[in-house]
Amino acid sequence: MATSDVKAVKRIDGYVLKDKLHKFVFGYLFYSLVIGLGFAIIYPLIKLLPIVFNNLEDLGNPDVIWVPIKYSTLSFQAAIRLVFGNFVPMLQSIGYSVIIAVIQIFVCAIAGYALGRVEFWGRNLLTFLVIISFVVPPQSLLISQYLSFKHFDVLGIISAFHGSTIDLINQPYTLYLIAFFGFGVKQSMFIFVFRQFFKGLPKELEEAAYIDGCGFYRTYFRVALPNAVPAIMTVAILAFVWNYGDTYYTGYFHPDGPYLSNKLMTTFSEANVQNILYAIKTWYAVPGATTFSFDAVKQAAAIIYLLPLLIIYFVVQKRIVENFEQSGIVG
Amino acid sequence: MEGTAVKNKKLHISHQNMRKVHGLVFMLPWLIGFILFFIKPLVNTIKYSFHEVGVADNGGMTLKYVGLNNFTNLFRAEVSSQSQTFARVFTDENIDIFMNTPVIVIFSLFCAILVNVKFKGRGLARVIFFLPIVLGLKVVVDLIMITSGGDVADAAVSNQFDTSLLINFLLNYTFLPVNVTLFISDLASNIFMLISQTGVQTLIFLAGLQSINQSLYEVARIEGANSYEVFWKITLPLLSNISLFALIYTFVDMFLQSSISTEIYYFAFNKNNIGVGSALSVVYLFNVLIDLVLLLFITNKVVKLNHGDK
Repeated sequence: MATSDVKAVKRIDGYVLKDKLHKFVFGYLFYSLVIGLGFAIIYPLIKLLPIVFNNLEDLGNPDVIWVPIKYSTLSFQAAIRLVFGNFVPMLQSIGYSVIIAVIQIFVCAIAGYALGRVEFWGRNLLTFLVIISFVVPPQSLLISQYLSFKHFDVLGIISAFHGSTIDLINQPYTLYLIAFFGFGVKQSMFIFVFRQFFKGLPKELEEAAYIDGCGFYRTYFRVALPNAVPAIMTVAILAFVWNYGDTYYTGYFHPDGPYLSNKLMTTFSEANVQNILYAIKTWYAVPGATTFSFDAVKQAAAIIYLLPLLIIYFVVQKRIVENFEQSGIVG
Repeated sequence: MEGTAVKNKKLHISHQNMRKVHGLVFMLPWLIGFILFFIKPLVNTIKYSFHEVGVADNGGMTLKYVGLNNFTNLFRAEVSSQSQTFARVFTDENIDIFMNTPVIVIFSLFCAILVNVKFKGRGLARVIFFLPIVLGLKVVVDLIMITSGGDVADAAVSNQFDTSLLINFLLNYTFLPVNVTLFISDLASNIFMLISQTGVQTLIFLAGLQSINQSLYEVARIEGANSYEVFWKITLPLLSNISLFALIYTFVDMFLQSSISTEIYYFAFNKNNIGVGSALSVVYLFNVLIDLVLLLFITNKVVKLNHGDK
């Protein structure tokens, strides 16, 4: 009796041991994978930290890699002085992205609703055209788009009233115009997201609204749109991020605008290296500044530029996945 | 009675028609935009590509028909801003895109599967794995990259991992051919570029994974399938639609970031050669569309093969 008990205990032990070992090995492999990949993703950011906090003259010193000898915030100061100023451009940029995002949501939502819910003539054709306009890169149309904006006219109507064609390049409202007519940053994709969402929404809600006497528009604004919060959230986040980081539309159609993304690209272009170095040397009395200091200032600017995005990202990140899941792009 | 029925029917039809009209009204902004910002530029681009475009005395444009000259010039005479012929530029871009797209899609699927598993610290892992949505912006990538060369800019300073170790290891201890080794080390050294493109795709895949009915997995486990079989027989088939979407998204995104777009600008406004620039645009456009058709064709084949196995 006693021996068999011992045997039984031993056998169970062996099983538990095997199970534990199995779990340990897999857990180890799993965590090393996750941590390794996570590290690879944030490695560029980690790599920045010692550079931007380093003393400008120590940059490029092979002895200094991870731990600076002397800490300084000079690169941040220089970046603020060069690009951000009193942070009004940043607020303007954020404001611009928010307005464009709102316009994009509005236009894409109504278009998506029509495509997903209303059986009008040529709906399938229009859906196909939306996909085509998503697939065709806007850059391939840049030249003639630019020229037609330079001499903007709709069927000769504008020149008849205004006397001549209008120059839409570099007007503050050009970008809003593009967004309103549905061709802003990746707007065709947003239309598609809304279409998928409205397609999956139960019909009963709207039917109830019709029976209660709501018209088409009332039904849309009172019933369909408030139920589309997940899709709206998804599009809002993506639209904000992409508009904030957009250099194509801001760069070509409103190059003198106060957009940070564009300003950063032009300030830190390769043609400007020597000017910026000269500025740093004279402003902060660091004659030993090399091109490494240019990089440090550039990266400090990138970090400041990223801050609003990162803050928003950390606030909304928990809801991103659920919203995206419910937004129906999956189905 | 009959009269009211007919009346109702009439009303019903008109209501449906009204609905269609309302739908069209909702589509109207996009339609106007489509004609103004898409069809018109498209037609004009094609028109310019067959013409020599100059500036008239009154500030307008003059068009002179030159047939296919712009296209032959583009490939015979002109060079890109990096002094490469355009045949070379296009082949490089296409090879790059066809190599990188599957890698990005598979990598993001892998990331999504990892963060879909329940484990301690999953929240943190998700935060980090979706960070490329923000970090992958072109501005950010450009700003973070190190531009200054110099002798000191070795592995310690640059943003790249040192791959010589990897190459040596693969060459000495595995029997892979040299080409494969080079491909792998290329991927490893480009890993930040690849990772920075994965944010949205990971999100798409994760949402797709979570929309799969959990009872399917339960059934599979009760039937005695191991996780390998579960992945190939349940997860992947149910993700096929999303994979296609992610694939197309990645593909389009890669083309958006290719260097050809800057070349177009360079031709049109730095070289003042709108005709050739338009020809380049047209070739670029056709390149994208042909590649996309090819991609759909290939995925179709693969999917059919999968069904054949079953």
